[in-house]
Amino acid sequence: MFDETLALTNRALKKWVRNPATIFPGLFTAAFYLALFGNSFNPTNLIPTSSNGIPIPPAALAQAKAAILTTTFGGAATYITYLTAGVICLIVVFNMAFGGIDLVLDRQLGYFGTLLTAPIPRAAIYFSGVFQNLVKAMFLGVLTFVIALLIPDGLILTPSFGVLEFLGAFLAIGLLGLGLSCLFTAIALSVRTIDSLIAIVNFLNLPLIFMSNALFPSSSFPGWLKAVSDVNPISKADEAARILIVKGNPSASGQLGTVTGDLLYLVGFVVVMGALGYLVARRALRPE
Amino acid sequence: MTSPKIIEAENLTKVYKGKVKAVDHISFYVDEGEIFGFLGPNGAGKTTTIKMLNTLASITEGKAIVDGKDVTKNPAGVRDVIGVVPQELTADDELKGIENLLLSARLHHVPRNEAHKRAKDLLKLVDLENSAERRVKTYSGGMRRRLQLAIGLIHTPKILFLDEPTLGLDIQTRTKMWEYLSKLNKDEGITIFMTTHYLEEADSLCSRIAIIDHGAIKVSGSPSQLKEKLGGDILTIELGAGPDITDFLKGIPDVSDVTRRGQAYRIKLPKTEKALPAIVEGVTSRGLQIIEISFTKPTLDQVFLDVTGKSMRDEDAGESDSVMQNFVNERMR
Repeated sequence: MFDETLALTNRALKKWVRNPATIFPGLFTAAFYLALFGNSFNPTNLIPTSSNGIPIPPAALAQAKAAILTTTFGGAATYITYLTAGVICLIVVFNMAFGGIDLVLDRQLGYFGTLLTAPIPRAAIYFSGVFQNLVKAMFLGVLTFVIALLIPDGLILTPSFGVLEFLGAFLAIGLLGLGLSCLFTAIALSVRTIDSLIAIVNFLNLPLIFMSNALFPSSSFPGWLKAVSDVNPISKADEAARILIVKGNPSASGQLGTVTGDLLYLVGFVVVMGALGYLVARRALRPE
Repeated sequence: MTSPKIIEAENLTKVYKGKVKAVDHISFYVDEGEIFGFLGPNGAGKTTTIKMLNTLASITEGKAIVDGKDVTKNPAGVRDVIGVVPQELTADDELKGIENLLLSARLHHVPRNEAHKRAKDLLKLVDLENSAERRVKTYSGGMRRRLQLAIGLIHTPKILFLDEPTLGLDIQTRTKMWEYLSKLNKDEGITIFMTTHYLEEADSLCSRIAIIDHGAIKVSGSPSQLKEKLGGDILTIELGAGPDITDFLKGIPDVSDVTRRGQAYRIKLPKTEKALPAIVEGVTSRGLQIIEISFTKPTLDQVFLDVTGKSMRDEDAGESDSVMQNFVNERMR
């Protein structure tokens, strides 16, 4: 099964690489969220620069901004530093959700018929769908990280951020992506039209994203929303990646336990979504 | 010596969603090494039958054996020995011609070296060797169809299922495709099971054909057997205004059937030369004017008309919708 999965994944990635029109919108979305959302919605910009016509001293302003970043945004050097992990998660979610369009097109254009009459395990079709979307999303995730570094007053890393922290952050995001890819690939294999896929994806996307701490800390959420956010896998991936990106070495910041817990939670998420997705996909790929 | 049966269908039935009966208890066989044509109007059940035989659709009732393997019990075994060329153009636009072939070879577990050699041979066979390194999106419709055929053959299947292999092609390309198919059948001994809308295609290629309508097989046999069954030649005579002479025509020895549409009479007879003088004499002696007279040797189109009550040309007109759909699909890619 491995070779067939690899062959089909390779096919999808070749198509992707040869069609830059499918890559640039993803990058634009990442840059848009970081540059515009990161600046326009930056809560530290809400601090007034004067009071009763008297300018607030720059040192006091800087102190107030630092206090907000420390208390609300986990000690991030800038709001974009805080936001980066969330935006990467967001890019991954979007790519997973809409990555299924290629699979629906394959079905509509008859390519599935060719695959289903070939002597390959059905699981290879499912897993190639899962892996192709994961690779695409992770590539865009890494580019988002680079864009965040390049933006002025953007992502500022601590000196203790190294290769292990980078790999750890992308392991968390990768596990989130893998779990979501299992879910959305199964959905894409089950629907017959792109309209149906988009309707389902939009229905799932908004609550998944906004009921997480991807864009804002869940500590400020009402109780019920915080309870949902705390079990949302996006929050778990975001929390682990954010700790590693903002604080660097998690042992030094005393948050190794939180990161490990989040990673284990995400492994469980992948196992559950993988099994569920496989069962749904197997049903969807049965003979008519 | 008769060839062994490579496909056997017994009471094959397909009901979609418990309501729509697409194929209704059909039985037929295909001999090893023959080209078998499956003809029928749109929606007759041709594609559904192919889908059941190539494991894409489940069998509601009945049984199908392909190369000794039960399609329901051993679908994987069936997939090992078949090649499928669907109606849709499924070659990947963004991949090169050769890449499409090698991908298909890999999915059919053809060893790498063998796959390269086979791909080159097939590209030569279908006259695409100079376009092998071009992306498929630059191919014309005819080139895509030829590539599709090569993809279906990359793993040297024992049986090749072709669903409307020349649909939408111009006559030159269609003729070329017939040459490829005949060559494959003769040189490689591949059994071909094909559906087609072009009766001249079935006539020139197929050793046997079956005509399916409303999900049931109406008639089967070799093209010449089916034409003989029509009862010989067909004489069409159009007369000026006058009385109905159907009974007179039916009374002439050798005339086997007469149908009338307005003042035009369609007369079936084994030998036109024998009955023609009596017909002309009878008509003129009644003072009727002959406006037009013509006779034709039986064709498959007449067999089709006889069996289904409609001409394949009427069907072709209806087919324009699906050709348009294919065009739209292609543009969507």
